[in-house]
Amino acid sequence: MIERVSGVALNTFRESIRDKVLITLIIFAVLVMGSSRVIQPLALGEEAKIIKDIGLSAITLFCVLISILVGGRIVYREVEKRTIYIILAKPVRRWEFILGKYLGLMAVLVVSQVVMTAAFYVILLVLGVGAPLYLMLAVLMTLFELVILTAVAVLFSTFSTPITGAVFTFAVYFVGHLSRDLKLLAAMSPSPVVKAVSYFLYYILPNLGNFNIRPEVVYGAPLDPSALLLSVLYALVYTATLLLISAAIFNRKEF
Amino acid sequence: MASLSEPVISVTRLSKVYRSGLRMKRVQALNDISLEVEKGEIFGFLGPNGAGKTTLIKIIMGLTDPTSGTALVFGRPPRDAAAKARLGFLPESPYFYDHLTAREFLGLAARLSAVPKSEAAGRVTGLLRLLRMETSADVQMRGFSRGMLQRMGIAQALVADPELVVLDEPMGGLDPIGRKEFRDIIVDLRDRGKTVFFSTHILSDVEMICDRVGIVIEGRMAEVGRLSEILTGDVESIEVTVKGVTGKTQKILERVSQHTIKSGDELLVTVKGEEEVDKIMAICREVGGIRVVGIVPHRRTLEDYFMAHVAKAGRAS
Repeated sequence: MIERVSGVALNTFRESIRDKVLITLIIFAVLVMGSSRVIQPLALGEEAKIIKDIGLSAITLFCVLISILVGGRIVYREVEKRTIYIILAKPVRRWEFILGKYLGLMAVLVVSQVVMTAAFYVILLVLGVGAPLYLMLAVLMTLFELVILTAVAVLFSTFSTPITGAVFTFAVYFVGHLSRDLKLLAAMSPSPVVKAVSYFLYYILPNLGNFNIRPEVVYGAPLDPSALLLSVLYALVYTATLLLISAAIFNRKEF
Repeated sequence: MASLSEPVISVTRLSKVYRSGLRMKRVQALNDISLEVEKGEIFGFLGPNGAGKTTLIKIIMGLTDPTSGTALVFGRPPRDAAAKARLGFLPESPYFYDHLTAREFLGLAARLSAVPKSEAAGRVTGLLRLLRMETSADVQMRGFSRGMLQRMGIAQALVADPELVVLDEPMGGLDPIGRKEFRDIIVDLRDRGKTVFFSTHILSDVEMICDRVGIVIEGRMAEVGRLSEILTGDVESIEVTVKGVTGKTQKILERVSQHTIKSGDELLVTVKGEEEVDKIMAICREVGGIRVVGIVPHRRTLEDYFMAHVAKAGRAS
């Protein structure tokens, strides 16, 4: 089983690493981080924090884009190009294929994050604004956000086209960051329909706001370790559920 | 000839209905198909384009499920990993990963087929040599021609040295030399005790190498059997060539023949059967001065057979 899942994962990794979209996104991320110096004069003594915030945000944004753009077509492409015929004719179970695709993409995201974070630290050192290691905690929490988001992208990829999948995944990302507002809306809205829809979305969509600790890290606010651990556990359980649903959908699929 | 061993592929009363378009229009791709493929034979699955060949192959490969009926591979359901571990598959017009080199791709195929790591590299190199792909082994497949992709397709199907090889239109996109090589590979597989099931619409491939054929037309199985059984005895016509015929004798001969062709001092007389040949011989003896220089029976070819079935199906619909 491990051989087959890792075989699919390695192929997905190779495919994505050799893809121009990925390289372009990583280059853009580094350019955005590097250009944060341009706004330095506007920042009035807050340069260091602004540069760190922009850098960490750029890492998150571009990794989210990679997850959505590459993840959104990851299964669809195999079906469209009929490479899936070759893979499923081997003794590969369908759930092994989904898991392999997911893990391959996560490996791509980890490598992308490592490259971007390394570039981020080089930029911090060059600009001489200090490069404390605890900034990496924000990157690590982003990784767990990507763990969920990539599973969402893979799920959509099993039944929709890349564009539709990307739009839906982005919608989940967007609404996932408004979780707290959704709950508030549900509590305060007089309309039972709005209440019901808000509660439904609040409970079914992932709460991604919990993974954003950039302000705390950049501005030195205290962090609650147990809350972070809970978020990590939440990411793993949520992702496992999504992958099970993806495998079930893929299992019913006819080619 | 019935085999005592379990059939390698067993398809029983299989039907497949697709629903397509907004109105969910019903398309019957396969209709009550039954066939068995025995161990060690080359089975040709023959039919015009759109007859349902690929649909049946997809069902046998577990890529699509039947609407009714059953398909078993090595006695197991097609999706069973244990069944897949014993077979290799080449899809129609195969397409592979652009970003992989030929060697990487075959390595992936070997890994997914559970070929032991110690054997994989040697197996891959051997296949690249067999298919004359050594010089392109470390080139990304994005620039491969149709023929090269077809070779890669057969290579990945054979990487685990499977007992059964299923090939969907394997000769498509190949030049005459490539077709000959593919036929040699298929025959060699049978000689090594493997079973080959392949679909095609090219009759000559089937006539040259198949032990048995199944003919599918518009989703129905028109015939399954040994080629010799399907084609034997059916002498369609006999061509008799005679020399030294005069105008008067020619007229007499034309009366017993289907048609005649005069070429120099030779007359080619086409007749229906042996009885008419006897009549021609008698006429020649009676008239004198006429020599019979050739008698060629024309047996029914697979093409004639195939066309007759297609025409019959066309009339029926």
